[in-house]
Parts: sequence; structure tokens; C-alpha cells
Amino acid sequence: MRTEQLTTHQKTLQRVKKRPFSTYQFQTRLFLFPYILGTFILVVLPALATVVIAFTNYNTIRPPEWVGLENFFRLSQSAYARISIQNSLYFIGLAVPLRILGALLLALLLQRKRRLFGLHRAAVYTPTVIPPVAYSLLWLWILNPVYGPLNIFLGWLGLPMPAWLTEPGSARLAMVILSLFQIGEGFVVLLAGLQTIPRALYESAKVDGASGWQSFWRITLPLLVPWLLLLTFRDLLVSIENTFTPSFVITYGGPYYSTTFAPLLVYELAFDFFDFGMAAAFMLLFFVLMALLIGGITALVGPRFVREDA
Amino acid sequence: MLFLAACAGQSDENAVSFMVFGDIAELEAYENLVAAFTAEHPDINIQLRHIPSQSEYRRRLATDFSGGAPPDVMLLNYRRFATFADQGGLEPLGGYLAESDIIQESDFFAPTIESFYLEGQLWCIPQNISSLVVYYNKDLFDAANLPYPTNDWTRADFLTAARALTMDVDGDGRTDQYGVGLAPKLFRLAPFIWQNGGKLVDNLDKPTRLMLDSPEALAAFQWFTDLQVKEKVAPDAVMESAESSESRFLNGRLAMYFNSRRGVPTYRTITTFDWDVAPLPNGERPSGILHSDGYCMAANTRNKEAAWTFIEFANSIEGQTLVAASGRTVPSLTAVANSPAFLDPTQPPANSRVYIDTIPQLGRVPIMTTWVGIEETAGEEIERAFYGQISVEEAAETAVTLTQPFFNRANKP
Amino acid sequence: MRKLQGFWRTGLHHGTAVTVTAVFLLPLFWMLVTSVRQPGLPPQRTVEWLPESIRWQNYADLFVMMPTARYIVNSLKVIAVAVPVTLFIASTAGFGMSQLASAWRRRLFLGSAVLLMIPGTAVWMFRFQILQWLGLIDSLWALIIPAFAASNPLFVLLFYWTYRQVPASIFESARLDGADALTVWWQMARPLARPTAVGVIILTFVMYWNDFIAPVLYIYDAQLYTLPLGIQILKQLEYGNWPYLMAGSVVMMLPIIFLFILLQRAFLHNISLANLFERN
Repeated sequence: MRTEQLTTHQKTLQRVKKRPFSTYQFQTRLFLFPYILGTFILVVLPALATVVIAFTNYNTIRPPEWVGLENFFRLSQSAYARISIQNSLYFIGLAVPLRILGALLLALLLQRKRRLFGLHRAAVYTPTVIPPVAYSLLWLWILNPVYGPLNIFLGWLGLPMPAWLTEPGSARLAMVILSLFQIGEGFVVLLAGLQTIPRALYESAKVDGASGWQSFWRITLPLLVPWLLLLTFRDLLVSIENTFTPSFVITYGGPYYSTTFAPLLVYELAFDFFDFGMAAAFMLLFFVLMALLIGGITALVGPRFVREDA
Repeated sequence: MLFLAACAGQSDENAVSFMVFGDIAELEAYENLVAAFTAEHPDINIQLRHIPSQSEYRRRLATDFSGGAPPDVMLLNYRRFATFADQGGLEPLGGYLAESDIIQESDFFAPTIESFYLEGQLWCIPQNISSLVVYYNKDLFDAANLPYPTNDWTRADFLTAARALTMDVDGDGRTDQYGVGLAPKLFRLAPFIWQNGGKLVDNLDKPTRLMLDSPEALAAFQWFTDLQVKEKVAPDAVMESAESSESRFLNGRLAMYFNSRRGVPTYRTITTFDWDVAPLPNGERPSGILHSDGYCMAANTRNKEAAWTFIEFANSIEGQTLVAASGRTVPSLTAVANSPAFLDPTQPPANSRVYIDTIPQLGRVPIMTTWVGIEETAGEEIERAFYGQISVEEAAETAVTLTQPFFNRANKP
Repeated sequence: MRKLQGFWRTGLHHGTAVTVTAVFLLPLFWMLVTSVRQPGLPPQRTVEWLPESIRWQNYADLFVMMPTARYIVNSLKVIAVAVPVTLFIASTAGFGMSQLASAWRRRLFLGSAVLLMIPGTAVWMFRFQILQWLGLIDSLWALIIPAFAASNPLFVLLFYWTYRQVPASIFESARLDGADALTVWWQMARPLARPTAVGVIILTFVMYWNDFIAPVLYIYDAQLYTLPLGIQILKQLEYGNWPYLMAGSVVMMLPIIFLFILLQRAFLHNISLANLFERN
């Protein structure tokens, strides 16, 4: 309605807009200048350099030397690269669905306005903002197999006490577990997503005699799917990236490479073995793998739901 | 924003940055060294950078070199300088030493000077020399009515003591006092291989292969591993991760701990029991393993004269005496090592001569650019065998296979 | 009957919520309890919900063992500059972006989205070299500099979404009255984005306070160490001495918790944050 009232006004505006470079437009573009320039210098340029380095032999002191695909050939034969990719896929396969599911359940549980629920929401978000170094140290202590509070607690309940960080299988699992406490971001996003669903839809479903369970399956979930999907894509990249500090501080990749995820291997190749070319090549390879994974998921489930929503 | 401007690093012509690792006691020793140097050379401004842990320190150096901003003077282990030297990151110091009026090559213990040679050049000036020794808790030996280790004790003596010292003190069915603490690493295993007459690599000067799968090495590896797997005189994986062996030793619940000289400053803070050092128990022949760190200079140091003046001072009798006061180092200058600065009878360990007397028996690892990768990779396998997850043969075979690419890479023309 | 059922359901709902809170806060509770235990004692082997004696002295010791106060001051210096700068750059850039023609908006949006996907590992090494050229290595500016690029493309997008929701006519009428872009932004746009600004302040504060990798890579001078480096040093110095390590972790965590409690109402109800995942 407002647009109708402003038609004449709008025409004037369009005339203003068509003027090739009004001062105002120039000024608003100036606003973008620091952001674009800074991002180019601090993010784009170093990232491009990494891509180039992937095709060179570079040991940090001498200038890089072009070797073509040799680094990728070495990667294909490297036991470390294989183990690290396996670990990363294990982590992603387990942590990402659990993190999304956890965030969804918690958002459903805590979405309503009730007494103290603000506090509960804050409690769920808190572990997400704890400094990673402090968070890692905390878990190093909690997971101590003999003196750690977790095993003492499990023993008190009469449950089995895993060796956690001393055994490859349980150490890898522990990394997933500690990532499950840091799901505040997905939680907040889904809380907001739930708020965008019109209440009227639920009202009319109720009139039609739908149970709470049915309206969840028919209304809530379908409307949340685009949110869940985008959350999944983001988590595929972010959750694996976030394993760096815990695996660095808690286990340094062990025991027996079981927590050597992709970011840690990149760091080790570069700063332990001084093989920056190989580190860059591995990073590139892993990035492409993730992009393919995201592309695959989109191709599989994406179009159906996205169209439905639009 | 003025306060931030004030924080930006200052740089002046006569500034020399100097990076070291070590705990607080060592840091104090280096602060004293810098203070003494500044008193003599007020025109040179030494900027001390300190990183407590050695593994952090090494990664830190890698980043600094990659950014083209390494410290001017740094402390490097002989196992690690080759990576930097080979790439042209370090300034060779042989020429400087030859022209020095204060120190010369023959003032140092020979093995430590040799360990900093690569491709016919001397790269760093050794600061210390140490071997692997056994730190033992005298009170626990007394309580078990055992004689203290002698300077020529054998592996059999060692094992007898270790068995007697491993016990369940509070009777809850769990071992809470261990006889031995020994990190399952290649660097700890190596001297036992040499004691058996075996080799660590095929050719020390031109290594192409790890020899962990040779019969002599396997026998040593088996003996080493049996301490945990069969004899159970060392903590298993779970107990080690619950509390480290060194912490158990410090708390008086582990009798014999294997370490180089570096543990001494911390052990001197022990008040609850008496301790001393013994050489490694002998195998077929006596052998130990060289530990040594040296002062190195970055190739792109701006004021090389000033940096050398500092290195020269740090390795003079005065400089080494100051650092030796911390207890951390066995001085690499024969004169200081044989002086009361090091053999101070009032400070433990009483048997400090062990570090000097065993020098002729010391073996060393090869000097090569990819050695760190080899040690870490082999270490993973040794650890698995030590905690009984795989057999010694399997560990040796895997270690040989997985370390081969590092040898190939180092030998690439 | 129905009423009773409702009562039980509400009770169950509250009960579950309390359990969830307990689970999420349990690790932090353990952190706190351990931080006031006597240091140097062998750890206990039984459940200990509260320590026998509370030793606040551990916290005081932290400030003696290492220059913790200086680390905190350095961290705060970084934040004092980085947070306002980020806010200004992200808000103006978001505004600038919202005023672009639609084709350019889309391109810029896609570009920012791609930037969000670049792993940090890919940037570490060569950012070092760039900072070296700029002469910023070994100064706190090396830590602050990302603020001049809005710290994170996400923050720009958050402001962009907020400004996009404002009817264009509002800005345009002001423009016709001859106001320049800065005035339009300051007087009309900025007040509308207050909730977004709160969200960005929190996220930026957390980002710079928690930053561990940048100081590891770009700071040498111990005088310039920030708190995360301090905690890392504490770990090296006091390895296995859990009361001190946990006390250090609590100190590290407190400002975040405090800020969060202060601003959580504004934050958790902030719809614009959710727009992050809405398609453009």
C-alpha cells in the first residue's frame, strides 16, 4: 500500500538512480571499500597463494619450486593422508547428524516462553562460547581414565569405564562427544526458524484433529527442512575445522593417529615436517572432497524441498 | 590508540633477538646470562623470547622461518637444526669460531661439536651435552632394602630392582608404585639397540633406512617392551595417561625414571625424598645416547657481529657457568663441566660425574633434514608395542615401512 | 482430568529442560570444583561433588606464577579496538551492500558466502607473510587487523539482512532531502539495527577473546601475549596440575559468561541472526 502512495515519489527516485554516479551511490560504495579490500588482502590473497603452493615443493626457507602434480601423487600414496581422511569422514558422519538432531530437539524443547526457559536456553548456548583452549583442557581432565570426573561418575553409577583417550576407538568417539556440547549456533538458528512458522498453521491443523506428533511431521519439519539443510552444509565445514584446537591440545592426533583430523594433518605436514607443498595439496584435496559432498547432498535432497518451500 | 602504538615491536640496529625453550628455572638462568652480557656490552640490546615446551618451540620456529622472521639467535637440538641449515636458514658458524679469541673447537667435548656438523660445515655452537641416565628415588630403594645402582650395573640388576619396587602400597589390588618410567620413543630405545651391538640406521653418515627390524634391534626392542608388557614394572597406557611417569616420580610413586639432564632443575625442587642418578644399565657393551643443544644464528640476521658476540659470550667459560647454575645443562666446555659450577657437591644429584664419564660411550642419531618425521613416526609404532597392542616384530616392520618416505625425501638430490 | 494431564505435561517439560541444563552445565561445574582443590595432591578416585576445602588462593597464585594480569590487559586492548572497528565496518558495509543494485548485491552476497567456506588453515601461513610486509608482525595490530575487514563476512551479511528488511523508501526520502550516505546510515539505518549490533558485539568479543591461533602465529614478544597464549603456557608449566589448569580456564571463561548473561536476552531473541540461513 505504501508503494502506491509513493508512486510519484518513486518515479523521482528512479530518475535519481539512473544518473550514472550520484554522490550518494559513490558514498555507499565507499562503505564497502574497507571490507572488500581487507578481505581481499587478508583472506583471498593468502587462500590463492595456498592453492598455488599445492603445486610446488616449498619448505619455507628457499623459494617454492614448481613440481606439478607430484604432491598429489605423494598424497595418494601417503598412509597419513588416508588415515586422516578416514578419521575426518568418521567425524563428519557421526558428529554432523547428531549435532543437527541435538540442536533441533533442544530448539523444540525450549522454544516456548516459560518460566526459567531463558536460563535454560543460555545454559545450552554456554559451552559454545567457551574459549577452545579452556574447553579442551577441561575435557582433557574430564576424560582422564582413572581420576577424571566422568569415569568416576560412571563407576559410581556402576557403568563401564572406557579408557577414553588411551584407546583409538574411544578417543575418536570422545572428540565427537565433546563437539556435541557446542551446538549453540544451530540451536539459536533453529529457535529463530521455529519462530518464523505461522501459528495459524498449527491452529488449523488442530481444528482438523491433528495430534501434536502429526503436526510436527506435517508442518514443523517440512518448513524447517531448508534451515536444516543449510545448517548441515555449514556444519560440514565448521565442525571439522573446529576439531583443530581439541585435537591439538588434548591428544595431538593420537593415540595412533586416531584423532588426526584433516586440519591437524595440514598443520603437522607444514609445521612438523616442513612440507608446505604437501600440506597445501592436502588442504585443497579435502576442500574439494567437502564441496563434492555438499554438491551431492544438494543434488539428492535439495531441489525437492527447496521448491516446496518457495 | 596511543597505547597500541607504544606496543608495536621496536627495532634498532643493535637489537639481537634470542629465543630459548625451557622451564622457569631455565628462563632465570638465561635472564642472568643476558644481564651479564648487557653489563659487558651495553651497546647490544638482547631481546629474550621464551617458549616453555620444546615441541611448541620447534613449531614456533617453523612458523617464524616460513614468515621470514626467525629470531637472530636460537637454541636448537642437534636432531633438529639440519632442517633449517639445509634450507639456507642458518648462518654457518665454523668461520666465526675459528677466528674467536675466546673459544675454540678443542675446548668442547668432541661428540657435541661433531653433532652440529652437516656437509662439512659447523652450524651451531653446542651449549650442552647430556646422556640418558636413570634418576632414582633413594628412599624407595631404602624402603625395599635394595642396594643403590652402581656405575656398572647390568640389565639383570636393573630388572631385579624394578620388580622389587613395583607394588600395590595401599592393598586395593591396583599397582600404585612403579619401578620404571620410560617414554616409549625411538630416542629412548636407541641406546639399548647399540648396547646389543645393533644399528639404528644402516649408515650414520648417509642413512637410507631404519634398522629397527635387524635381529639386534629387535632383541633390544623386545627387552624394552617386556618392561611393560611382560614384567609390568612400568605404567600401562591407561595409568600413564591418568598420571605421567614423570609426575609419579616427582610424587614419590615411581622409583627409576629415564631422562636426560634436563629434568634436574625440576627435581631439585623435590623436598619429600632423596634422589640421585645412575648410568644406563649395561647390555653386552656400555652405550648411551647424545643429547645436545646449540646456539644457532639465522642467515638473515641483520647485525651478525652483534649476534656472534652474544653466542661467543654465552659459550665462554663465564656464560656457560651462569647457565650451568640452573642445573639444566651439562656444560659442553670441558673446563666448565669439570668445575664446581657443574659438579657442585652441595646440590643433587651427587653422582653428577656420570654425565661426563659416560661421554666416550655416547652414540648419536643421524643428522638429516627429515629426522623429526622419522622419530615421530617410529615413535607411534614403538608406543603401540610398548603398551602391548601389537607385537614387537609388527611394530618394527611398520616403522621401517612408514619411515622410508622420509629417508627417500632427505636423500633426494 | 485434562487440566491434570496438562499439569503433568508441563511438569515433564520443565523437568526435561532442567535435565538438559544440568547436562550442559555439568562440565563447567567440574571445572569450577577442580579449580579450588588443593594443588599438588594426588587426585581423588571417588565422586566428589564439592571439595573438602575451598582454596581460592589458586586464583591468586595464577597471577603470581605468570603475568596473567598483563595477558588479560593485552586481550582487552585488542578487544577495545577490534570490537568497535568491526561494528563500524560491518554496519557501514552491510548498509552499502543493501543500497547496491540487485545484480551486484547478489554477486557480493555469493562472494561473501564463498568466503565463509574458506578454511582458516588455508589462510594462516600466507597471512603471516602479508602481515610481515605490512610490518605488523609482533604487535597487537596483527591481531586487530581483521577488524578492518569486518572480522568475518558473516557480520556484514547480518547487517545487510537487517537493512534489507527496512523499506527502501525510508532511506530514499532522506536521500532526496540531500543527506549524504554517512548521515543516512548514522541517523536512520543504524538505530534500526540495534539488536543485530548486540549480536555482532557478542560474536566479535568472543572471537577476539578466544583467538588462539593468531597470537600463536603472529606474536613473539612475551610482553604482548594475550590470555589464550597464557593458558597454553600454563599448560606447559603446570602439566597435570589440574587445580591450576582449571582455575586458568575459569578465568578465561568468566568474561564471556558475564557478557553473555548481560546480553543474552537480546541475543537469543535476535531474529536477524537467524537470517543467516535464509536464502537471499
